[in-house]
Amino acid sequence: MAKAENFSVVGRRVRRVEGYEKVTGESRYIADIVLPRMLIGKVLRSPYPHARILNIDTGKAEKLRGVRCVVTAEDTIKKPWGAFFADQYPLSVGKVRYVGEEVAAVAAIDRETAEEALDLIEIDWEELPGVFDAEEAMRPEAPRIHEDRESNVAMVIDVERGNVEKAFAESDIVVEDTFQSAPQWHCAIETIGSVAEYSPSGKYTIYMNTQTLFNARYRIAAALGVRETDVRIIQSAVGGGFGGKSCDDNNALVAAILARKAGKPVKLINTREEEFLAGSRPRVFMKIYVKMGFKKDGKIRAKQTRVIADNGAYSAKAPAITGVAALRHDTCYKYSDVKTQAYLVYTNKIPTGAFRGFGNPSAEWAVEQAIDEAAHKLGIDPLEIARINAAEPGYVSPHGNRVISCELKQCIDKAGELMDWKNKRADKKPNTGLGLACTVHVSGKRHFGDYDGSSATIKINEDGKALILSGEGEAGQGCFTTMCAIAAEELGVPIEDVEISQADTDLTTFCLGAFASRLTYISGNAVRDAAAKVKQQLFEQAAEMLEANAEDLIARDGKIFVKGAEQKSLAVGDVARARLFRNGGAPIVASGKFDADSVLQDSSRYGNESGAYNYGCQAAQVEVDLDTGQVKILEYVAASDCGTVINPVGAEGQVEGSVAQGIGYALIEGLRFDEGRPVNPNFSDYRIPSMRDMPPLKHAFADSYEPTGPFGAKGLGELGMDPTAAVISNAIFDAVGVRVKTLPITPEKVLRALKEKK
Amino acid sequence: NVNGETYDLDIEPNRLLLHVLREEVGLTGTKEGCSIGVCGACSVIADGRLVSSCLTLAVACHGKEITTIEGLAQDGVLHPLQQAFIEYGGLQCGICTPGQIIAAKSLLDENPRPSEEELKEWMSGNLCRCTGYYKIFESVMAVVTNKVTVAQPAAKPAHEAKIQSLGVYKPVSKTS
Repeated sequence: MAKAENFSVVGRRVRRVEGYEKVTGESRYIADIVLPRMLIGKVLRSPYPHARILNIDTGKAEKLRGVRCVVTAEDTIKKPWGAFFADQYPLSVGKVRYVGEEVAAVAAIDRETAEEALDLIEIDWEELPGVFDAEEAMRPEAPRIHEDRESNVAMVIDVERGNVEKAFAESDIVVEDTFQSAPQWHCAIETIGSVAEYSPSGKYTIYMNTQTLFNARYRIAAALGVRETDVRIIQSAVGGGFGGKSCDDNNALVAAILARKAGKPVKLINTREEEFLAGSRPRVFMKIYVKMGFKKDGKIRAKQTRVIADNGAYSAKAPAITGVAALRHDTCYKYSDVKTQAYLVYTNKIPTGAFRGFGNPSAEWAVEQAIDEAAHKLGIDPLEIARINAAEPGYVSPHGNRVISCELKQCIDKAGELMDWKNKRADKKPNTGLGLACTVHVSGKRHFGDYDGSSATIKINEDGKALILSGEGEAGQGCFTTMCAIAAEELGVPIEDVEISQADTDLTTFCLGAFASRLTYISGNAVRDAAAKVKQQLFEQAAEMLEANAEDLIARDGKIFVKGAEQKSLAVGDVARARLFRNGGAPIVASGKFDADSVLQDSSRYGNESGAYNYGCQAAQVEVDLDTGQVKILEYVAASDCGTVINPVGAEGQVEGSVAQGIGYALIEGLRFDEGRPVNPNFSDYRIPSMRDMPPLKHAFADSYEPTGPFGAKGLGELGMDPTAAVISNAIFDAVGVRVKTLPITPEKVLRALKEKK
Repeated sequence: NVNGETYDLDIEPNRLLLHVLREEVGLTGTKEGCSIGVCGACSVIADGRLVSSCLTLAVACHGKEITTIEGLAQDGVLHPLQQAFIEYGGLQCGICTPGQIIAAKSLLDENPRPSEEELKEWMSGNLCRCTGYYKIFESVMAVVTNKVTVAQPAAKPAHEAKIQSLGVYKPVSKTS
């Protein structure tokens, strides 16, 4: 730890830079965008989980008054696309593989006409037997979902580091169990949508509520068969992302195809039901078998997992997520001998994908319960067993993750203090219990183009105000405020003097976008670099004006002066004006860059996946009602190591929101499928936590400093979601001695487990 | 009548208040989240009552006074609830924020001093996926406990833009 710097913006409780727009209803989200001559699009979706399309007749629909065009696969290049495996089409080619898949689409003058036209499209189907369970789909006789593949297994990871067999033999105790995680939908209150227009010159302009603009651009361009720059993506305000808006779905593509054929702009917004059926790609659900060996003193000796992950019909980000579930947890504790076998398997269900936490919540759900089980068996306090094994600075995981800053032990201690763990444990009340779990997360992950960097440009205007141009975008989490704070700190100006532009692939720098908790760390570093460079330009000008050396200048609170001679200062605006009108008209602009010191994992998934690792520990006290099985969280605490906290209001909000999603994941959220068909795709049946569901929450941030981060910061956004389900399950076990091993932990399951225990 | 302004609109009887507000009146601050009256993103106040505009027929609002999020700030001065949501971080992505603020306003209009429990119960009709509700709760409680002072629009420090070409030409130019 080295917290040398005295900050004037970083660490202050600054306000959201878009706060005014958001509280007045002025923020323009995707559904609020209206273009002249704009049509409304609607999608015809597959009613079958697996079926061949024999014929599509769009004649009647096309003739309906007010319909401007109908599109099918015949209007596409029939080229599959995808983030890691190209396996899905914008519109079904020949067959459908899940209920909700896009088969055809209509653009019409209004919503009602478009909906009416969908009913007029006639399709001849040949239903095929489907497979809905990943393990069943692995059987050789299972219906083949993608004919061009040898089996339904999309991907296998089979990795051993060290010697697991020997390590288990040397263990004093071995625990093993199987845990099933659940699909979880992002349930951003805003669904996915886009407004696309096409110019006959060959350019598509797409307004999207995506959280990853440039990734969206190259995927969309590839699926449309055009160059990247033939597609311009402009980000609207985004009403919640959580990974669901990282362009793994077909919404924008269908809008673009409609817009081209109609020759007019087309708006296509998912209904809530469509969002559940085929919009945001829900969390990959996994069955995880875990076996762990421990020494008597609680030290972990060996770990083995077998993961069966449900890919759904297409792959989206699941190949990366499955890898994270199999491997990343080994960066949380000190491991030597580990083995994992992970299978990603196609089924006839909605494609699964990226949701806050990626593979971590599934892995933590299993592994943190196994560790808790061991603690109880060994008679060691779960808090102590976490402490004993916790990773430390300098730790290198068996898979090559190199940890620089790490305050996991501090997090464990802080969580213990906030929960009053020792006293509560000593004074255990009937049917109440304590549980905790730890987690690790990345600050960026290298897998897109062997790059995990960012770039940003900062322009100083003639009034001294800085404008950040960055293509990272704002997914609603508040990263614009964090970027402005970082730039303001470096420039020595108040945060009110920094603005950030809307992200637009034509105008802003190439960036990967919001995923892997990367923006504060990765984009923050690029923004800081740009700010330092542009400040140098101001200093050169100010040096001339102050008749001083540029090296002797400092900037603070919007003024530039010679160190120690604050009374003779220049306003940044005056310096900017002088610079702009002199020096041959040089603009005051600089670009900054950063690429994390990480490597692309090799074919065995070895390699340091991220530039920095974030840690956390959470604990809960719960009370279980023996008559109803109801679990009440009496108190919840979260301690997080995200390095320096740049923006405390934002950071607290990330933890609070994560915990809420984690509680939903643990206790209430789940979509039931009947033969691959979701039976509750709406907000009254798929419940997410509301205000009265939230327990008292305390949180703390570790005193931590990441030397490679901007002002010592690293990522945070997903950390708070990762361990929550395990925390609650561990607390239930402590309270009543039963474990529900499938998510969500509903009262019925708790009652059943209690009955079985008797 | 929406936010004090009267509109004469010909509306088909099946159109929802939500869609008329957004598409005919042009007030897009009211959001569509679930379309079945569960999430509260479309909350508006009709004649003093909190309603889900996604379940309300527009024609049923003939002659009623509707308040949407756009009607809260007066002359550029934010409503205390709006101010509080900014100060206490009661928003992240902001999509549910108009509904949250409208719901809180309708509660406080009726009951300016709700208990914490009353507030939680009332606000549970408004879903938020970002904040975990803690900061929304704090924001509303800050108004309940009079911790919020609304800023005048001029509270922003006055900055003078400089017209660079002033002084380039003198009133009199002549050779001496």
